Amino acid sequence: MATFKIGFLYPEHMDLYGDDGNLIIIKKRLEWLGHSVLITKINLGQNYDLKEYDFLFMGTGTSYNQARVTKELEPQKDTLFALMEEGVPMLFMATAFQLLGQSYVIDRGKSVTGLGIFNFYVENGLHRLTGNTLISAILNGQEVSIVGFANHMARIYSEDENLLPFGLVVKGQGNNNDKLEGIRYKNFIGSNLHGPLLAKNPILADYFIDVMFKRKNINRDVILDDAIELFAHQQARTRLI
Amino acid sequence: MGKIRLIIAIIVGKLMICLTKLTGSQGTVFPGRIALIICPEILKILGENISEEIIVITGTNGKTTTSNMVAQILKEHDYSLVHNAAGANMITGITTAFIDKTNLIGTKIFHYALLETDEANIPLLLKELTPKVVVITNFFSDQLDRFGQLDNIINLVKDALRNTKIELVLNADDPLVTHFQSDTGLHCWYFGFKETDYDKKESFHNNKVGKYCVFCQSELVFDKYHYAQLGKFYCPNCGNRNPEPNFVAHSLVMNPTISFWVNDIYIESPYQGFYNAYNILAAVSIAKLVGLKDEFITNAIKIYQPQAGRMESFNIAAKKVILILVKNPIGLNQAMAALEQESQSKNILFILNDNAGDSRDVSWIWETDLEMLATNQLNINNFICAGTCSGDIAVRLKYSGFPAGNIVLVKNLAEGIEELITRDSEVCYVFTTYSALFSSRKMLIKYQDKYKADISALKVKDFMGMGE
Ligand SMILES: [Zn+2]
Repeated sequence: MATFKIGFLYPEHMDLYGDDGNLIIIKKRLEWLGHSVLITKINLGQNYDLKEYDFLFMGTGTSYNQARVTKELEPQKDTLFALMEEGVPMLFMATAFQLLGQSYVIDRGKSVTGLGIFNFYVENGLHRLTGNTLISAILNGQEVSIVGFANHMARIYSEDENLLPFGLVVKGQGNNNDKLEGIRYKNFIGSNLHGPLLAKNPILADYFIDVMFKRKNINRDVILDDAIELFAHQQARTRLI
Repeated sequence: MGKIRLIIAIIVGKLMICLTKLTGSQGTVFPGRIALIICPEILKILGENISEEIIVITGTNGKTTTSNMVAQILKEHDYSLVHNAAGANMITGITTAFIDKTNLIGTKIFHYALLETDEANIPLLLKELTPKVVVITNFFSDQLDRFGQLDNIINLVKDALRNTKIELVLNADDPLVTHFQSDTGLHCWYFGFKETDYDKKESFHNNKVGKYCVFCQSELVFDKYHYAQLGKFYCPNCGNRNPEPNFVAHSLVMNPTISFWVNDIYIESPYQGFYNAYNILAAVSIAKLVGLKDEFITNAIKIYQPQAGRMESFNIAAKKVILILVKNPIGLNQAMAALEQESQSKNILFILNDNAGDSRDVSWIWETDLEMLATNQLNINNFICAGTCSGDIAVRLKYSGFPAGNIVLVKNLAEGIEELITRDSEVCYVFTTYSALFSSRKMLIKYQDKYKADISALKVKDFMGMGE
């Protein structure tokens, strides 16, 4: 039995749409697999060491909070990128990952500088991209289907050769018109499919868990009964195709 | 020409209202939509037939119950009124209500118009009608997907109210509502609760939106919460705090039905739950402002029974089944809180849809305090999951800690109700989102009648010596 430390970045400011459901899911699954989990809520103005965590998570926030968080993370951005390079698993939802690029847009269309970790920029479109979305992603060399709900004004344009999309849009909304959804760098995943993305995608939850296990040299010997989760996935998928 | 267009629009609208009534559908939107296409000024014109006042009720939760109660009080007074149907709270639904009530040439006069209005429709509505009073019940996160984020909606409503002569009736306990006075400069009346025995020191886990001062973004300090972000607050940075209410509710008792005082009027109601106490308070405040007599107010509230989905009760196979509309996190938390008052064992049928009228994004079920299910202090035997998103609610329940073996997925409503009443429990609840409210209600009535018939058939058999 191991203890996994999860860093929940800025829950007071970046957690709309029930994003924290993702951490409930990771925690429960790790517990069902016989391990214990410690979730640390990291708030603005608090001292912390990002290197301590086995998994980092940040949810969505309003553009006002997005700007506050960007300022707070500025001195940490090299550490954050080093951890991504090292393969630490991370999941950032919508506005959380959008602040990692060159620029993003805050209220009434004002463009502001992002953390610049990746070479993409975010503009605001004329209308909201919203609705149930089905994408296809590659996890552990396997093509898998992921379902979620998109709802954003943002249009994300990547010029970064090292940055992959999280997946290809099969049905629904992506980063812009290019049929790509989210961003991916090693075990870092950023997705516009906000809210409890892992709920209907146990395969994605297990992807993060498997990475955590590998980094601690733990073998996975228990198989979880995912009948309910897979039903939910299939139900959402069937309605889209 | 304009007059002819108006008359055609009214006739077409009335015909379509008849048609939708004949087909038994709840279509209260379509007639208004078509009429507005034929005669775009129709709402403006018919609005001029209101002799006393147009009252608009908006906010996230409680619009329907509050406006129904005010309607009941106005009816006690024998006033005539135009009042839109529950849920038909967009411009189109409101237009339908006016067409339904008016005569063929659109000249019939009414005392009052009582309009439950969707927050995002306020700007549109104020272009057509000039209400005397706009009531804001509260602002919670609801259907963010449809209209953008809550602060956008609040700004939209504020912008529309500026430079009007409207009087506002505001919830003094909601930090997302109280700032309307300084930001619009309008005359405001406030209603609010004094401390109650049901107050909490902590809010629910996902109180994000009402946590910060709207003026300076500092974290607000709450002395106590009534529910959600409604409570006694102040901002340590800029001094923003609850205004003094004009209509003060005190000595609240929920036993489980509600009684309390509003200033010097004693109020009793068959309703339950703190959120309904707020609805009653808002209704009483409006009635007092309009100048209605106390005895009419207390009488109307006393006899006003819960409507469809507002804790309506059925009896199926000798089991009590209670229907509750849940459409957002606050509503679901409040429904769960109501279950706490009931000690009997329960089965719950949860119908989660994402159709028109529902939140298209069902992630709101993760913004709730369902973790309380893990200890099962609510004495729930089974959760039966139905609806277009039955899988979503089943997963949510599983991760709340509720035993996966007692989560039942069903294919349709009928199967859901069968499971609900045949599985072991003393009492049953149906939680439903808006789009399944009327179909589930119909189905519950059908089952109620069916079992009644079965029982009388059985009695006849007994009587004739044919019983087992
Ligand atoms: Zn302040």
